[in-house]
Amino acid sequence: MEEYAREPCPWRIVDDCGGAFTMGVIGGGVFQAIKGFRNAPVGIRHRFRGSVNAVRIRAPQIGGSFAVWGGLFSTIDCGLVRLRGKEDPWNSITSGALTGAVLAARSGPLAMVGSAMMGGILLALIEGVGILLTRYTAQQFRNAPPFLEDPSQLNPKEGAPAPGYGNYQQYH
Amino acid sequence: MICGFLRVVQRMEKLPGSLGRQLFPHFVLTKACLKTQPLRWGLLEQKKIVHPRTVLGFTQKTFWTQGPDPQKAKEDSSKQVSISRNQRGETAVSTSQKVKEAGRDFTYLIVVLFGVSITGGLLYTIFKELFSSSSPNIIYGKALEKCRTHPEVISVFGEPVKGYGEMSRRGRRQHVSFIEYSKNGLKRIRVKFYIEGSEPGKQGTVHAEVEENPRSGQFEFRYIFAEVSPTRSIVIEDNRSQES
Repeated sequence: MEEYAREPCPWRIVDDCGGAFTMGVIGGGVFQAIKGFRNAPVGIRHRFRGSVNAVRIRAPQIGGSFAVWGGLFSTIDCGLVRLRGKEDPWNSITSGALTGAVLAARSGPLAMVGSAMMGGILLALIEGVGILLTRYTAQQFRNAPPFLEDPSQLNPKEGAPAPGYGNYQQYH
Repeated sequence: MICGFLRVVQRMEKLPGSLGRQLFPHFVLTKACLKTQPLRWGLLEQKKIVHPRTVLGFTQKTFWTQGPDPQKAKEDSSKQVSISRNQRGETAVSTSQKVKEAGRDFTYLIVVLFGVSITGGLLYTIFKELFSSSSPNIIYGKALEKCRTHPEVISVFGEPVKGYGEMSRRGRRQHVSFIEYSKNGLKRIRVKFYIEGSEPGKQGTVHAEVEENPRSGQFEFRYIFAEVSPTRSIVIEDNRSQES
């Protein structure tokens, strides 16, 4: 959505928190349904009741912890963007590490370091996937390598700026 | 506190020998401890519970905790191990079972290698993206630094200057649009990103291009300029040599 006039940042936190909660509830619901089904006594009615109970009890908890993770991650991310002034993959990796550290704060400094490393590596992998996807889907649209001239905003081979509308090149 | 006392008593339980066991029935003690400090002891108990596992096809459903009575548990475990070993010794491991084991191990190995290679590939991608000098993100970072220290840019946009790339679906703007091409046998990369300052409503587009230096292998800037409006551009750097 290129026409988005407003800054994504503070509103992105709510977006990410809600998205994470939904993911947690749906994923947790499926897992707990299967688990409740299997751990119930024999008999289809018992199994369904066990399944529904497990989902009712555990799915909101899982959704809640996912939402906390997502919300905290997005908050730290927006904070870093504001602090550094540029948007980078480094922001995501550092946010993941800090989120892991903060959420393990109850278990002492060593657990915080371990959790930070796990969070950072997880986010690095997610960023890697994102970058690969963007590059490969963009490459599909590219034709033969174009011959690009220097933009007309620069004077030919001189230093002074030249006003003039830029020739629009095909970026991806 | 009561729980401190209970904790001391539980430590006494761990003493080898029958002395500890005779003094207090340890099940009552454990339950009492659990009631007073449920969370912490729950975690402690959790660490020592062994989950049922399947060893060679028999599922051992043993829920024993090592905490309150390690020696008794150790005897139990040795008994368990000796029982399973006896059972294993009685039925000879036939060739078909060995083949099945080998097949299973092989599939596990393949899965592990697959996972490791995918993880390695992803880590390599992100490493290259963040550290290699030919990655668009690095070029964007260096160009942004040069823009930030340029007096004309500061006067037009106001400090501090922040930069971002293309808006993606989730609202994150990390992707910097770029294009790679080559001229005269040397690789060039052109990068485009946006900058904004503290002046409200003013947004500029920065175009930067690097060319590969054949001697050092590093990428050096050919030009950087900021387009403030369709009619005005600020040239920040222009290093084009005459023959290009």
